[in-house]
Amino acid sequence: MSEAEIDGKPVSLKAAAERSAEILLSARMPIVAGLGTDVAGARVSISLMERLRGAYDHLQSDRIFADLDVMRQAGLMFTTPSEARLRADVLLFIGNDLTRIWPAMMERLSPGEMPPFDLAHQKRKVLWIAPSRSAAKAEKFPIETLDTTNLHATLASLRARFSGKPINAGKAVLRKLDEFAEVLKNARFGVAVWGGDMLDSLSVEMLYGLITDINKTTRFTGLPLGAENNAGGVLQTSGWMTGFPMRTSFGRGYPEHDSWRFDTNRMIESGEADAALWISSYGREVPSWKKQVPLIALVPPKTKFARVPQVRIEIGQPGIDHDAAEFARETGTIVGRDASHTSEALSVAAVVGQIAQHIGRDA
Amino acid sequence: MLILLKGGRIVDPVNGRDEVADLWIENARIVAEPRGKLPDEVHDVSGKIVMAGAIDIHSHIAGGNVNCARLLLPEKHPARTPAPAALPLSTAGWSTYQTGTIYASMGFTTVIEPAIVPHQALQAHLELSDIPIIDKGTLTVLGNDDFLLSLLRDGEGQAAVADYVAASVSASNGLGVKCINAGGATAFKYNERAFSLDDVVPYYGLTSRQIVEALQRAVIDLKIPHPLHLHANNLGIPGNVSTAIATIEAARGQALHLAHLQFYAYGDEGDRGFSSASAELAAAVNAAPNVTIDVGQIMFRQTVTVSADVLRQFNSTGMAKPRKSVIHDGDGNGGGIVPYLYRESDFVNAVQWACGLELFLLINDPWQVFFTTDHPNGAPFTTYPEIFALIMSRDARAEATARLPQDAVSMTTLPSIGREYDYNEIAIMTRASPAKLLGLKDRGHLGEGALADVAVYSPGKDLAKMFRFAHLVFKDGDLVVRDGRVTHYRWGKALKVNPGYDKAMDRRLAGYYDRHFGIPRSTFAVKEHILPHAEPFQEVACAR
Repeated sequence: MSEAEIDGKPVSLKAAAERSAEILLSARMPIVAGLGTDVAGARVSISLMERLRGAYDHLQSDRIFADLDVMRQAGLMFTTPSEARLRADVLLFIGNDLTRIWPAMMERLSPGEMPPFDLAHQKRKVLWIAPSRSAAKAEKFPIETLDTTNLHATLASLRARFSGKPINAGKAVLRKLDEFAEVLKNARFGVAVWGGDMLDSLSVEMLYGLITDINKTTRFTGLPLGAENNAGGVLQTSGWMTGFPMRTSFGRGYPEHDSWRFDTNRMIESGEADAALWISSYGREVPSWKKQVPLIALVPPKTKFARVPQVRIEIGQPGIDHDAAEFARETGTIVGRDASHTSEALSVAAVVGQIAQHIGRDA
Repeated sequence: MLILLKGGRIVDPVNGRDEVADLWIENARIVAEPRGKLPDEVHDVSGKIVMAGAIDIHSHIAGGNVNCARLLLPEKHPARTPAPAALPLSTAGWSTYQTGTIYASMGFTTVIEPAIVPHQALQAHLELSDIPIIDKGTLTVLGNDDFLLSLLRDGEGQAAVADYVAASVSASNGLGVKCINAGGATAFKYNERAFSLDDVVPYYGLTSRQIVEALQRAVIDLKIPHPLHLHANNLGIPGNVSTAIATIEAARGQALHLAHLQFYAYGDEGDRGFSSASAELAAAVNAAPNVTIDVGQIMFRQTVTVSADVLRQFNSTGMAKPRKSVIHDGDGNGGGIVPYLYRESDFVNAVQWACGLELFLLINDPWQVFFTTDHPNGAPFTTYPEIFALIMSRDARAEATARLPQDAVSMTTLPSIGREYDYNEIAIMTRASPAKLLGLKDRGHLGEGALADVAVYSPGKDLAKMFRFAHLVFKDGDLVVRDGRVTHYRWGKALKVNPGYDKAMDRRLAGYYDRHFGIPRSTFAVKEHILPHAEPFQEVACAR
């Protein structure tokens, strides 16, 4: 069974759910933050905020919006890990954070293998901009690397050289960029792989521009690695339920989306939000707010808080303690995960459902 | 609960009825007048039109591509009004909740999402679970998937193809099979920029025609009621009427459904090299009783095109308005999302608009032509009421046509067509015929024993208003709409088929997924208990 506490003292789950409902009902602007949960947990949390006219956000929104903002301002070309694995004759890795973000990346994309769908049937070419030295060295296949301390400038220069435009650079750098540009030109189906730690929106937009340029003559696409804590699944769920991504508020009784206004970190620090439901079921993440508001925490056992939350309810992990639907990085789709070690630990959906039972429809 | 709809005009072409009569509903079914029992609830519907709930066979309402379109265009669907307490999220623009609410208020009770690739099936069913009131179904997209193309290349025979199709449809909980530009998405991955019926898919050495024929036959062999639902090659290209006619011929007299035919009704005549060829295409459809089509009518407004025809979508990114688009090279088909603004003053758009209406009016048999906008590609489904008005009223058409560039109108036969659909034909096209085409015996009519999906309309001069706000709508005998307003949510089923096949195919596919994708095939399974509502599916029998 799950452990629950009010002000650090053990209570029944029912008492914790009732107290949570009281806190949320008495708030002017409650929020759900963290939202590290499966599709079912996201569904009930978004519904709860709709009922309470609150707002919701995800702990890795910044990473999601680095890609999403480019998509909704310029566009996106992307593929699945399976397509990259089976078809890519050129892999363009960008950033030293890829294997840290996705430890299984090399195994999944098999860059050292021959891509079975490539007509030329040759070994892939692997390029890596701003590589992780250790990761690149560990591989048994050749990797062409390009070091940089300024990703913006490097991606812009590469795009310029791809289109034959002059750039202001030393001979060695120019030669390297031209080598890379040549590989991109001759790619049959290339895939650029990037993570969200190193690439901000400007880099992603430049990269999208480069991919668009390459597609004038040949095929090239992208594989953004996205974020953890089911950020992709929460994004999709939010999308179909409200039409919008996370950082959406129901303050007016209908969803409004603004990635600055409804950044819950900002809302807490500015005093706009006055109660929080924090959800983290994939790990022991806790909010880093300086300002204190009444806090209900749905977290795994042994999660450490600087200050004792008003309510704390222990939850299980999706796909481990209970079956779940979540976004899978290895497929690029939402998949069902069977529990690997079914336990009595409660799911977020069950706990939030209990809290919602104590909140009338016309709250 | 015994409900009496008293004295309405019953329009029920399946049972050959168009008469003023009572209609009785009990426990989610339509029943004969019970003897010696008084109704619990009486609705006086004298002067109203009573039809079965409408069925939409082709509307993109869920799945990864649709959701991507939502996220691409936040500025195009702002919510403006608070949702009533009983209908949470119903005013959220383009949400699943709004989708079900608007469909129901128009008297639609079953809607088919026609393009779900197997690997996206779970997300699609999660989305469909959050569409209130209506029943749903998905068509499983095949025809660009390596396993199928390899089977065909290696000449493994039709039995293997049928087993694979059945295994794929079963795993994705689909109601039928969709094929989208057969081989075209794959050819695009090999940098082909155009792809027609007899073009060859690189690496596999197969033509589009061979893929279509194999899938069409598999669907027939498996006795899946809905014939192969085909999105043909060369969508949207001037002169593509020849492709459409060749595709009708390629059906070889066997059942085939051609989707959004308006987009293939183009000639290349006139100063602009773009003209309506609808008259010629309608004649071909009239001569091919084995073929059914849906129209894909365009309407003049902002929309977004969402299609798994990646090659076509890539080629239209230059026309995006607003200027942004998403191209996804997915497993098998993938998708492309390209926003588009259809304008009344635009020559091409005006011809397209006329092309669709010509197909509606020149295809003689209302059992052969289906009412769609290819939502949201031609127009959002919210434009349906206006389209009903256009096909039911010559005056409405004349008024709308007068606003168009006349050089565009002159490239069509529209002004010469006097036909007006009557209620009976509307009921055939939107109720009787869709149910027949999908193999749904329990709906689309008002006979005894039918599911009590009933729509009651208040006839009036304003046809669009009549169809936008149904007077009453019952879903499974539950009154969910009064005077165009949904009163409460209920949760419908997803309709699916369960075709029989040799389970050795499952073992073979398991090995293929492990070797090929490096992912267990079970990863993509759609398990009922993962979906939010109990008993989410209803099986439709495989029989012809």
